[in-house]
Amino acid sequence: MGKDECKTMLDALNKVTACYRHLVIALGSTSDSQNLREELKKTRTKAQELAVANRTKLTSLLKDKGISKDDRAEYERLWVLFTSSVELLEVDMKRSLEIGQDFPLKVPRRHLIQTGMTGSTTTVAARAMSVQNMKYEADANIDTVDLKELETEIAQVDQMMEEMELKVQVAPWTVEAKQEAGAELKSTVSVGNSSVGIISICEEEPKETVEGETGLMKVFAGVIFTAVLLIAGILGYLVINL
Amino acid sequence: MTINTFSQDGVQRQQMPCLTKMERMIISMQDPDMGIKLRNQRLLITVIPHAMTGADIFEWLIKKFSISDEEALHIGQIFVKYGYIYPLKEPRNLILKVDNSPYRFQTPYYWMSTRWPASELDYAIYLTKKNIRKQGDLIEYEKECYNALHKRINHTWDFVVMQAREQLRASKQRRKADRIVLECQEQAYWLVNRPPPGTLDNIDHGPERRTTNTRVQLNADFYKKEIEHNRISLARNRVKSSICLESYVKYCEQYQPHDPIMQGCLPSNPWITDDIMFWNMNCETVSVQTKLRVERWSFSFMELLSDPVGRKEFLTYLEKEFSAENLCFWQACEDVRHGETSKIPGKVDEVYKQFLAPGASRWVNIDSKTMEKTLEGFKRPHRFVLDDAQMHIYFLMKKDSYPRYLKSDLYKNLLARAVVPQETKKSVLPFIHRQRHSSPSPALATQAAEDDGKAKNSNSFKSNSGTASRL
Repeated sequence: MGKDECKTMLDALNKVTACYRHLVIALGSTSDSQNLREELKKTRTKAQELAVANRTKLTSLLKDKGISKDDRAEYERLWVLFTSSVELLEVDMKRSLEIGQDFPLKVPRRHLIQTGMTGSTTTVAARAMSVQNMKYEADANIDTVDLKELETEIAQVDQMMEEMELKVQVAPWTVEAKQEAGAELKSTVSVGNSSVGIISICEEEPKETVEGETGLMKVFAGVIFTAVLLIAGILGYLVINL
Repeated sequence: MTINTFSQDGVQRQQMPCLTKMERMIISMQDPDMGIKLRNQRLLITVIPHAMTGADIFEWLIKKFSISDEEALHIGQIFVKYGYIYPLKEPRNLILKVDNSPYRFQTPYYWMSTRWPASELDYAIYLTKKNIRKQGDLIEYEKECYNALHKRINHTWDFVVMQAREQLRASKQRRKADRIVLECQEQAYWLVNRPPPGTLDNIDHGPERRTTNTRVQLNADFYKKEIEHNRISLARNRVKSSICLESYVKYCEQYQPHDPIMQGCLPSNPWITDDIMFWNMNCETVSVQTKLRVERWSFSFMELLSDPVGRKEFLTYLEKEFSAENLCFWQACEDVRHGETSKIPGKVDEVYKQFLAPGASRWVNIDSKTMEKTLEGFKRPHRFVLDDAQMHIYFLMKKDSYPRYLKSDLYKNLLARAVVPQETKKSVLPFIHRQRHSSPSPALATQAAEDDGKAKNSNSFKSNSGTASRL
């Protein structure tokens, strides 16, 4: 069905946009490197392809006059999601251009910001490109050459968005979200667990309850310990006497 | 139709200059030889590099720029306030503590920027991510913001949820230390850009200007105008600072004896000694002038004209020379310029009848071109219609009558008669203070005026205006 196809394509675009943002955050910091620039370029190209594919699909669906009202509402909702995704992508591309220009890799006096992130971003890029391992084959001066291409690509995306605005008239205020507030909590068991382990490293927690809890725990442990000692003593006494 | 959340007025915004300077300093802090020494942060099992203490930052600033302690502290605070450095121990407390408290640098993506202000969509995604991570246990104000955003950008809420989930999955691909750093960075960014209620909003954004109708089209016309504007600015007349500083020094030297603060005023400063003789001697209706006042008239023509006594004296001189109508015309033009708008046509009419009409009683001599232009303007009289004529007469008087006046006997007699007031004798016994009377409160003054009629009020008014023209 058209709807399912659209949804899967939109999901793919969404995934690549999220990965792209993740990669742009690492630009200019100590996890920046030749590889990162190449990853950015590949992710960006992929995102653009997906965006174009999404757009053609959705415009063809929306232009079709003979669809039902429900279908139309659904496609309009998907359209709004698509435009938000492309907007996010565009902002990230512009910012990556700016940061890329400010932090060229080959200039020795230009230092990268030491932010504490030292790992590589290959896994994120692999996720974006849906491959197992990333292959790096770019030249040494990718950071400067890529920026020019980036400029042209940004202009292309800008143009695409303008055309979209003109051709498809979808009013965002008529679109209602399907999910209510807090909907993300219901089906995210797997995502929640991993980060619960990082309990309170960078956040303040109300100190009283934590201390109260550990205090209780201590008392409890002490009680159990003394009980165990008592039992051991009694048993020993019995063993000796009998 | 899309709703652009990041550019409100469609024009490319400029980065604030102070932010560029701060960024340069941050980059110089990264120098491996001359930058800040970095340590490792130990958390339970993980070790994260690139942490520094507040004391490190403080000392580095002092050493690098050779500044005092207070200045270094102030600059350090600015870095933390604007989010370029964030604290690790107490993240909500954005101040620099000069001790062992750890800090870390913020990644360039999250640097404060006027070009990329934090958008609502991003904040919604952040709150959703936090909601997922903390299983719904957000802080109060965050819950409120979350609900408000859910209402406001409801049309893309599905996107927000989708994107939040995907971003969390993407960050799961990194190793643990990096994940911690990412979370801390993002949290620090949002604490700076959406401060919790009750804390100071460090970034004073000022009122939002939604000037959507100044959307500038960057096309050929725009650039042509810019080029023209720049060309005209280049051709502007500029004075060398050496020349204008010379004239400035000359001006200061000339006016220094007249400045009551620099030179002291005779007989005595009324604010100090409660003796108002100074004001009395310099008001409008005094018969004998002070020497300083009369000397001042010789500095420039404008000085003479702006002093009411000077103007009167000049008028008497001009009457002797039979060119008094010039000054009267000038005064009438001033009246038109500064008077009520409704009375302008009437006044202009009168001026025409008295001064400009052929065969008028007090006809002024204006050249034909200016006369034509002024008469043209009379068809639609406005405040500045007599400006050209007034300027012509002003320069006539300045070039012609004014120098002669300064050389005339009238002026010289006035100068001879002018008095230099005596300095009030200081009291013989230095310990006796004059009784300081506080001036009567305005409420009492107005009440007295109501009782006695307007006489008292107008009197105090006159002396006040006298002092105003003096100082």
